[in-house]
Amino acid sequence: MSDAHPTEADAEAEPTERGAYVESPIIMATVRVVAPFVFTFGLFIMFHGADSSGGGFQGGVIVGTVILMLGIAFGIEPTREWVDPSTLVAIVGVGTLGFVSIGVATVALGGAFLDYPAFGIHHASKYGIELVELLIGVIVAGIITGLFFAIAGGMEGGESA
Amino acid sequence: MIGLEFALLGFVFACALATAVLRDVLGSIIAFAAYSLGIAIIWVVLQAPDVGLTEAAVGAGVTTVLFLLTITKTVRPSGERTLERLDLPALGVSVVLVGVLATTLGALPPIGGAETPVATSEVTGYYLEHAYKEAGVKNAVTAVLAAYRGFDTLGEAVVVYSAGVGILVVLQREVFA
Repeated sequence: MSDAHPTEADAEAEPTERGAYVESPIIMATVRVVAPFVFTFGLFIMFHGADSSGGGFQGGVIVGTVILMLGIAFGIEPTREWVDPSTLVAIVGVGTLGFVSIGVATVALGGAFLDYPAFGIHHASKYGIELVELLIGVIVAGIITGLFFAIAGGMEGGESA
Repeated sequence: MIGLEFALLGFVFACALATAVLRDVLGSIIAFAAYSLGIAIIWVVLQAPDVGLTEAAVGAGVTTVLFLLTITKTVRPSGERTLERLDLPALGVSVVLVGVLATTLGALPPIGGAETPVATSEVTGYYLEHAYKEAGVKNAVTAVLAAYRGFDTLGEAVVVYSAGVGILVVLQREVFA
């Protein structure tokens, strides 16, 4: 994408290719400052969803956004290598399996499906809900990041994409 | 409050129109993001912050980024015009469809009305009364989502999971790359 010049110098009549990645110090500095706060906010939405608005789906998207920001600021290819695509697939699988196994475990312990008090611990329902929210967040964040990498991979991959 | 709602409605409508008629796809995507943001604010005004949060994060945030990535392979349209030529038959179909849907508006209960089926339903009363004691969480929405209707939520999570698996199958990859 180095041959793209998204500037006003391009003539209107000539179709211009859009550049994918610009190495902008402003974006890099902003993302470096903002990313930890966004990540924390995502976790807050995920865990505090039990007592205020939010939950696993919303929090997961916000956590996934952190990876998207890093990809936009520092280049998608380095970010992908840093995250490691196979880890991503594993994380999503573990999240889904974890959710299902919590449900199956409550049935095995004699309760209904996702009937948390069957675990017999103090505040089982509260902790159960928060664990489930966390697992949903892991699934959603993993898939959002995965979609981002998959679409970006098609951008550079040519025909086979 | 009414003024705010009409202003939001106007904003969302203008953004939707811009998304449809702008010739440059980049402009369309930006208008679409603004539209999503407007819808998110409307959800908050209608006191549905959970939905508003989702709309802002997914609609205005992630979808916009995915669209932007998608159009990097496209080219900017040449020529002077900024607006798309209107497709009259398509416009007619859209207007008729909106007209048919609009006939149902009169049957909707007023916003926040005490007589709405949701508010008078026995199930709603049960959730509001027992959610804190049984589920131990203060947000009744979460109690319904993760405890009472946990199986549905498992289904939703699996749908998200399947979306990822589906993309991998279509692209014939084993990892997101």
